[in-house]
Amino acid sequence: MTDPSVNLPAAILDSLLLDTSPYLSCDECFDQLDIYVERLRQDPTYRDVSMQVHLSACAACAEEAEALMDLLSGRAG
Amino acid sequence: MAIVNPTTPELEDLAPEESWVSELNGSGPSRHVAQRNLHDLLVRSTRHQVWRLRHQLPGAGEGDLEDLAQQAADDALIAVLAKLDTFEGRSRFSTWVYKFGLLHAGVAVRRQAWRHREVALPDTLDSFDPGSSPEAIVQANDLSRAVRDLVASGLTPHQRRVTLALLVEPVPIDVLAERLGTNRNALYKTLHDARQRLRAGLIIAGYLDGSSTRSAS
Repeated sequence: MTDPSVNLPAAILDSLLLDTSPYLSCDECFDQLDIYVERLRQDPTYRDVSMQVHLSACAACAEEAEALMDLLSGRAG
Repeated sequence: MAIVNPTTPELEDLAPEESWVSELNGSGPSRHVAQRNLHDLLVRSTRHQVWRLRHQLPGAGEGDLEDLAQQAADDALIAVLAKLDTFEGRSRFSTWVYKFGLLHAGVAVRRQAWRHREVALPDTLDSFDPGSSPEAIVQANDLSRAVRDLVASGLTPHQRRVTLALLVEPVPIDVLAERLGTNRNALYKTLHDARQRLRAGLIIAGYLDGSSTRSAS
């Protein structure tokens, strides 16, 4: 028998349990953001695991990455 | 001037790529011109970000948004000039500059949006109401219970408050940093450590596969 009152939404469970290794700080992400976005624009298959992990785990940095991508692409967002 | 969709294709870099740094490090009139052009670049990016995030400021008029973009560009200009010697040319100068504008504009919008809002620092998941929507609720009752227990007993009080504020409320990380007198870096490290503790606890309890990089939910 289950107790619905203890259940957590999948989105919150996922965010609580997200594996954020390898660790990259927000400052390190910011330092690399311009290079990462330019490389990704040149090659959509480009991968940087540390950056990808950080951007999946930090909403503010992810928003900045998306905004930079949009700005370079001429999209208003 | 009213803020409008700022991403206009006719805008091009205002100086050749190689001359930006030398002109900004120079002296006399050319330095002033370079700083003015740098500010123009920054305004392009701050307007872009304010435009993207304008939904967070539903009561703001066009003049308010433009003021926010200009203030963010002023702040970003100081940051760029302070960091100028760290530019290594690994990206275009304009791309490097844009990210400062986006950072300062995003912080400004989020802080403005939360200016009159109380920032909750919950100390427990017990009071969390998952709502009544069946599709929003996972069926992994045991996992949810284990996570609730680990949040309550496996995290330090600081880790618990930061994690719940950022992920459950959710409070923007720079807003929370401002309220707590800390910075984004420190809060993200706290969140990273908390996630590691939760995952380690669930691996020991058999809810997560230690070899997997994804959560079991």
